[in-house]
Amino acid sequence: MSAAILQGVPATTLDTDLWVELPARQYVRVLAVVQKLGGAILARTVVALKDDSLVNFLYRIDGIGSFGEEFELAKEVSLGGCRVRVLPIERIIASKRHVGRPKDIAHLPLLEQVLALLSKRGGGSRTAKRGGG
Amino acid sequence: MKKKFEIELKRLKREPGLDEHERILLARSLSATPQERWDAHENFLRSLGLFEHWKRKEFGFK
Repeated sequence: MSAAILQGVPATTLDTDLWVELPARQYVRVLAVVQKLGGAILARTVVALKDDSLVNFLYRIDGIGSFGEEFELAKEVSLGGCRVRVLPIERIIASKRHVGRPKDIAHLPLLEQVLALLSKRGGGSRTAKRGGG
Repeated sequence: MKKKFEIELKRLKREPGLDEHERILLARSLSATPQERWDAHENFLRSLGLFEHWKRKEFGFK
């Protein structure tokens, strides 16, 4: 839901999902970076960063395209002085609908409501569609 | 930010099916920048003592 929050969905989440373009078997490489940054490893894909926020690393996301395909469609937002690419709300909806767990289904009405509001005004609230590069 | 919020709120008044509370919630979120949205999200978790994962465990979260 972090990507949705950044795009204007009034929601909250207890962890941030980060999609990494690496085979899942290479998770150790990601964990090494986390350790270098002072984070704590809680599980193979779950870490607590230095500020105690939780991050969940994903190596695939079901119900949507490949990392490369989705990267091209991603929206770019500014966060913490960095440019961050996030899945557009419609792609988050596609993934949650595919996964279909109760907690994913529960998010759909709010996601769809905000998407409908944003669509009426022609796309993005205060996020820019990714430029080149 | 206040002006943007007011513009957004005015726009949402034309939306059917939203009550006043929903309009304000959505207007605040939609008028904010991504950074402001993220800060608000983190502040909300902090206000409930749910930001740090070890604190969440005390509340019974996994």
